[in-house]
Amino acid sequence: MMNRRQFLTMAAGISAAFGVTNLPEPVAAALKQIDPQAIPKLLYLQGQSCSGCSISLLQAQSPSPLTLITRYSQLAFHADLSATSGSQAMNLIERFINGEAGPYILVLEGAIPEKMPSACMIGDKSLARILETAARTMDAAVAIGACACDGGIPGAEGNLSGAIGLPEFFSQRKIEKPVIQIRGCSVHPDWVWQTVVHLVKIGMPKLTATGSPHLFFSHSIHETCPRYHDFQQEIFAAKLGDRGCLFQLGCLGPQTKADCSSRWWNSGQTWCIDASAPCIGCASPLFARQKNMPFYRMKKKKG
Amino acid sequence: MKIELGPLSRIEGHLNVKTTITDNIVADAQCVGEMFRGFEAILRGRDPLDAQQITQRICGVCPYAHAIASCYAQEDAYGITPPTNGRILHNLIQGANHLYDYLLQFYQLAALDFVDITAIVNYHGTDRELLQVKDWVKAELATKKTFAGAPFLPRLDGQYIKDNEINIGALKHYLEAMEIQKKANRAAAIFGGKFPHATGIFPGGCSQTPTIDLISAYQSLLEEVRDFIHQKYIPDLLAVAQTFPDYWHIGQSRGGFMSFGLLPLGPGKDSRRLLAPGVVVDGKVKPVDFALITEDVKYARYSSASGLKVSEGELIPAPDKTEAYSWVKAPRYNGQMVEVGATARILADYLQGNNQQVKELVDRFAGMAGVSTKELNSVLGRHLCRAISAVVIADFLLAETERIEPDGLSALELEIPASGEGFGATEASRGALLHYIRLQDHKIEKYECVVPTTWNCSPRDDKGTPGAMESALIGTKVANPAVQIESVRIIHSFDPCLACAVH
Repeated sequence: MMNRRQFLTMAAGISAAFGVTNLPEPVAAALKQIDPQAIPKLLYLQGQSCSGCSISLLQAQSPSPLTLITRYSQLAFHADLSATSGSQAMNLIERFINGEAGPYILVLEGAIPEKMPSACMIGDKSLARILETAARTMDAAVAIGACACDGGIPGAEGNLSGAIGLPEFFSQRKIEKPVIQIRGCSVHPDWVWQTVVHLVKIGMPKLTATGSPHLFFSHSIHETCPRYHDFQQEIFAAKLGDRGCLFQLGCLGPQTKADCSSRWWNSGQTWCIDASAPCIGCASPLFARQKNMPFYRMKKKKG
Repeated sequence: MKIELGPLSRIEGHLNVKTTITDNIVADAQCVGEMFRGFEAILRGRDPLDAQQITQRICGVCPYAHAIASCYAQEDAYGITPPTNGRILHNLIQGANHLYDYLLQFYQLAALDFVDITAIVNYHGTDRELLQVKDWVKAELATKKTFAGAPFLPRLDGQYIKDNEINIGALKHYLEAMEIQKKANRAAAIFGGKFPHATGIFPGGCSQTPTIDLISAYQSLLEEVRDFIHQKYIPDLLAVAQTFPDYWHIGQSRGGFMSFGLLPLGPGKDSRRLLAPGVVVDGKVKPVDFALITEDVKYARYSSASGLKVSEGELIPAPDKTEAYSWVKAPRYNGQMVEVGATARILADYLQGNNQQVKELVDRFAGMAGVSTKELNSVLGRHLCRAISAVVIADFLLAETERIEPDGLSALELEIPASGEGFGATEASRGALLHYIRLQDHKIEKYECVVPTTWNCSPRDDKGTPGAMESALIGTKVANPAVQIESVRIIHSFDPCLACAVH
C-alpha cells in the first residue's frame, strides 16, 4: 500500500510528465524545490575504518551519488572525495566543530580508539578530541556501519586499541546528542542516503530499539528471505554451492535485522544469499564480536 | 621550513606527510600512517574460514584482493586446489574489482589535481548532468555560506588544465565514471554476493553457481566497462600527460620494484599468471622469495622485534615510542626498499616478456609520449601503468567468461585441518599483497598481512633508508611550499591506502 506522501509524489510526477498546469495545492507543494535551509550540512569523518561504507555510498543507484550530493545534502568534507587537503581541510573541519560554520550533522564512519587516542588522528588532533569538541556544536550524528555503531571488527575480541562505537563513546562522556545508527559491514547505500532524504523531506525517522531507522531494520533477513520456503520444507544446503536454506552452513539471517532480503545489493543485482553465501550477520550489533562464534559451520578434519 | 601535508584527501585513510622545504625543494619527507586497528590480534584464535571475511575489512576499497589472498593462503594450508570454475570465478571477481578501482583512482581521486572543475561555470552545452552541476555550482557560489561548492571547492592552489573543452570533457567523464565503477562492482558482485565485502568467496572457489544468465550479465556489464576504458579513460589520461609532460620526470622512487603477479591461468599456486610476478632490481628481474621479506619497526610504533620474517611477525603496539613516527611498518625485500603497485606490476611483466599485450601497450604509449620504460617510474608512469593494467585485465576477463563451464562445480566441500600453514600472494590494485596463515587445533594461530601501501608508505627502515613514497618526494621542486600541489600529485600517483598499510 502506498502512503499519502508517496501517492502525492507520484501524482505530482505524472502531472508534470503530462504538462498539467492546474495542480491541486498539495500536489503542487510536493513538486516544489526542497527548501535549501532544510538540506543538512554533513561533516563526514572517518575513524578506524576501511572506507568500505564510503565506497558503498558511491554504489547508490536511484538517486545517483551526484544527485544525492548536489540535491539532498551539503557534503562539507569527505576525505575520499574532497578536493582540498592539508591545513585548508583542517581549517574547514575546525570551523565546523567549533560551531563557526552553522548547524551541521556529523557523520562518522569507523570506530574510536578509546584507550589509544593516537591510533586515530586527523591532522594534529585525535579523533576522540575532535568528537568531544563536535559534540558541543553538532545537531545530531549519524553512525555509519558496524564500526561506528558498535566498534565492528576493530572492536571485536582481541581489540588492542579499545575501539568502540559512537553511542558508547558518547554515553561514557554523558553526551546527549541523537545518534542515528546505521549498521552493516558495509552499510547498504540506500540505508544511509534514504535516511538523509528522510531528514530533508520529513524529519527524524522512526528508530528501532537499537537506534536504527525502522524503515530498513525492523525485520529479520530470514523473514523475507527468498529461501524461506526451503526452510519451511526443510530443504537445507549441506555444503557450499548447494541450493536450499543456508541455515545448516551457519546462516545468521534469523538473528540479523535488515532488509537485504527484499532490497538486495548493488543496484538490486544480487545479495549474499542469492549467491548461496550464508549471511554473516554484518548488520547485527553482535557482528564478529567473539572469537568462538565462527561465521560458518564446516567440517573439521582429524589430525 | 617544515610543512605538513595532512590530512591528505582523495586517498584511503589517515595519511600525513611531514616535509622539510629548503629553497623550494623537498629536502625531507616522512610518511605518517595515523590509524591503527590490530587485525592480526583480532584474527588469532578464530576459525580459519573467518579469515577471508575479517581480512576484507582491512580495506573497503580493495576488499576482494584481501579475500583472494586469504583464500590462496588457506588453499595452501589446507592442501586444496580449486576446480577450474572456482579459479575463474575468483579471477572474475578480483579482476572486475581492479577495473572499478582504476577508474575511481583516476577520476575521483587523482583528476582533481589536474582538471579545472571551475570551468563548468562557462559550460554552454545541453548535457543534462553537466547542467545540473553547473546550476548547483552557481547556486552554491551565489550563497554567502562558508565553503560553498564543497566537497569540490576549496581546492589547492596550483596550475590546472587551461583548455575548457578538455576540462568539461573530463568533468563529464568524472560523472560517467561514477556510473561505470558501479557496473564493474555489480559484475563482481554477481559471483561475490555483494560489494563491498563479498560473502561468496571461499577457499577453493565461490558459493555461487555460474549459470548462463549470470555469465551473460557479467559479460554485458564488463563490456560497458571495457568500452569506457578504451573510449574515455585512455584518452583522458593521454590528455593529462600531454598537458603535464614534466610529470614523466617527477616522483621517481629510488629503490627496486616488486610484483606478486595477478590472475592465475591454471591450477595450483605456481601456475602462470596473466601478469607475471618478479622483483626488479637494477633493471633485472628475479623470482620472488617470500622468505626474503622482513619488516623493520625502528621508526614504527611497535615494541616488537625488528627485521622479523613474515611467518614470525609480531604486533605489540607502542603508541608513545620516541623515535617512531608512523603506524606503518617498514617491509623490505632482501634488505632493500622496493616500490609496489601498477608500475611494478607492468614493469615486472614487461621485462620478462610474459604478456604480449603488455609489451605492445607499453611500447605504444611510451612511444606516443616519447619516453622509455625508465619513465614508468614517475607520476604519469604510475597512472599509465594502471590504465595498461585495466586494458589487459578487461580483455582477459571477457575471455575467461567463455572458459566457464555453465552450472559446473565451482566450490569445494571444505574440511579444515588441525594444523598447517600457507602463503597467499596476489596483486591488489595498489600492488603486491601477501597473506600468511598458520593453524593450530583447527584455529588461526598466526595471521600476517604485508600489504601494498605498507611497502609504498613505509617509514625509514632500521638502516635509515626512506620508503618508496618518501624517496619519490625528496628532491621535488615545489612552487608554493605551503601547499605543494606537486607533492600531492606524487602522493596520489601511488594511490595510497592507509587502512591497508596499517591494519
